[in-house]
Amino acid sequence: MTTRSTARRALSWVTRVRFGSLRLRLLAVFAAVALTAAVSASGIAYWLNRDAVLTRAQNAALDDFRASMTRNVGSLPVNAPCDELQEAADRMASNTQSYQVLLLGTDVNGAHCAASSGHGAFTLAQVPASLRTAVDKARPLTDGNHDAYHLYWQRTTAGGRPYLVGGARMIGDGPTGYMYKSLAAERSDLNSLAWSLGIATALALIGAALLAQAAASTVLRPVQRLSVAARRLGEGRLDTRLRVSGTDELAELSRTFNNAAEALQRQVEDLSNREAASRRFVADMSHELRTPLTAITAVTEVLEDEADSLDPMIAPAVRLVVTETRRLGDLVENLMEVTRFDAGTARLRVDEVDVADLVTACIDARAWLDAVELDAPRGILVRLDPRRLDVVLANLIGNALKHGGSPVRVTVRTEGPDEGVARSASVEGGGGRGTGLVVRVSDNGPGIPEEVLPHVFDRFYKADASRARSEGSGLGLSIAMANAHIHGGDITAANRPEGGAEFTLRLPIPPPEGEEHDGDDDHGGDNGDAAHDGHNGEANGGQR
Amino acid sequence: MACVPYLLLIEDDDAIRTGLELALTRQGHRVVAAATGEEGLERLREQRPDLVVLDVMLPGIDGFEVCRRIRRTDQLPIILLTARSDDIDVVVGLESGADDYVLKPIQPRVLDARIRAVLRRGERDSTDAAAFGSIVIDRSAMTVTKDGEDLQLTPTELRLLLELSRRPGQALSRQQLLRLVWEHDYLGDSRLVDACVQRLRAKVEDVPSSPRLIRTVRGVGYRLDPPQ
Repeated sequence: MTTRSTARRALSWVTRVRFGSLRLRLLAVFAAVALTAAVSASGIAYWLNRDAVLTRAQNAALDDFRASMTRNVGSLPVNAPCDELQEAADRMASNTQSYQVLLLGTDVNGAHCAASSGHGAFTLAQVPASLRTAVDKARPLTDGNHDAYHLYWQRTTAGGRPYLVGGARMIGDGPTGYMYKSLAAERSDLNSLAWSLGIATALALIGAALLAQAAASTVLRPVQRLSVAARRLGEGRLDTRLRVSGTDELAELSRTFNNAAEALQRQVEDLSNREAASRRFVADMSHELRTPLTAITAVTEVLEDEADSLDPMIAPAVRLVVTETRRLGDLVENLMEVTRFDAGTARLRVDEVDVADLVTACIDARAWLDAVELDAPRGILVRLDPRRLDVVLANLIGNALKHGGSPVRVTVRTEGPDEGVARSASVEGGGGRGTGLVVRVSDNGPGIPEEVLPHVFDRFYKADASRARSEGSGLGLSIAMANAHIHGGDITAANRPEGGAEFTLRLPIPPPEGEEHDGDDDHGGDNGDAAHDGHNGEANGGQR
Repeated sequence: MACVPYLLLIEDDDAIRTGLELALTRQGHRVVAAATGEEGLERLREQRPDLVVLDVMLPGIDGFEVCRRIRRTDQLPIILLTARSDDIDVVVGLESGADDYVLKPIQPRVLDARIRAVLRRGERDSTDAAAFGSIVIDRSAMTVTKDGEDLQLTPTELRLLLELSRRPGQALSRQQLLRLVWEHDYLGDSRLVDACVQRLRAKVEDVPSSPRLIRTVRGVGYRLDPPQ
């Protein structure tokens, strides 16, 4: 058997088991109904039959016995001799009902005599004592009872076989006669009847099971289709629809499902259209703002240069225009950056950089060298987008300087694969590689209020309404976070136990690219852009 | 080269054109402005400027096409103004032959610094000559010949070749080259180097797709191989 067919079989088994409970319940109910019906019908039939068969056999035997007794024994003289009794017994036994006869009498000498047909096969021991008592007992004569003795009968079993034993006493102190008839034929008839009924019951059960299976399938197949469709819908294939056939409840359910799916699809489309429209609006707006802003920015420097020589009344106004123009410019730039992240068009342009060099350059470029304590061992080489890391660092350090005040402490470490504790890369030697880069930016300020902590990376979130017009666009930390995410990293904010806030940037360090990757240096290298589009900033083969 | 740099500014937006003209003039440049690509190409023929500052988004023929048409005949420096910092703009611009780019909103000080850096690339700084196979670099005449024929190199390409040829056999990283040739800061766009290397290879290599002169050093940058 191929693995594929094994797998398919396993799958179908799993599917059946999934629906097993409903299937099993249906089977159980059908079986119970069938069993009850079959057993009660068979039981009643059996008991009625048994009664009828036994009664008929018994009545025939007893009537024959009574007639034969009257005919054979009634003609004997009182206290007939034993051999006459024996003759009468043999005559009686040669009957169509095939029963044995035992005659008991007393001869003229007063000796007891037991004459049994069939050479003594039937003895008094086989007659139950209770029957003997009943037969020997004389009834008082009343209006309703004209005879002192009656014919009595009883069913017994001897050696596992059923027998009918009957007995009667001739009136007027005559001999007592007993008959003994095997009911084995009747029993075997009844047994074969019971077998037939049992087989019929079993057949009914099997039929019920098949019916239940069929019923379950007709119910479960649509249910299974519905389940598959619902799963597909959950996976986001909103155009999933069911084929509706028939007018039963399941068709109704399918129709309801289709309607729900359609409504869902419409709503999702509506929502995503609206979201796309609002994103487009923000993107377009930032673009539109940028054109006039470029013109204004171009002349603000002219104004700035001239501010010193202007009227002291006008100079502050000019300086205000200049600084606010820069803020506006930063805000628009940040908005554009945010829309790029939202639209998913932000791209990584990775390069292998020494993190210490980058942090130093970032601090240096913004004239923060005096306000920042830097603890960054050289030789941590990471493939990342230097421009984006610069944005992250500038935002984190700038934020710390703004809210915490100097000195701001910046620590750069690498993190091992399984240890949570940061460890110095210099210990491993230059260029030592961990699996994660950790940059901590901590300040000695008042820290971040607990209720603000979850929102520090939200857009335009201001900790304090009164500080609404504080420096910064309100997008800085969210952009830093987006930049960390695009690297597959994360930023966390916390308060240090000894006071002050600490922002921790964690970036994964991708493993160094395979050195064995060679080939002609111009398959990748000649498409400078392609080489920088993805993570593969250095796709060129080495040729030394 | 004229003492006062003579710039051609091609920008369609009136306000930006006026503002940049004002700012650049204040910084000591002579500026001639054009509102469309066609007008800009005409001004280029008439006035022979030292440098072109070119907006990417233009009505009619766009900035990339203007760039390509200029490169067919002239090797003067071109600086792109791109309204979007979308990567594709920068890539297409550099492939069209631009030497550098500045993102909008433009700070005139940044633009001025880029302009001066580009113009410096054409200046002579030594008087010797070097030969690498069939390529002869004459540093006094600032010319490069291949098999005796003059190669038309832009100042940026020439400067890149000069910097590489000054350290034959030594690999220079993209960041080093950005500092040496483009005078960019630590966040310089290394695609400038890659694009320029491709253009330079197209001119100096026998088979540009399998370069024997300007080699890529994996994980580092580029290296000029000394003559064999």
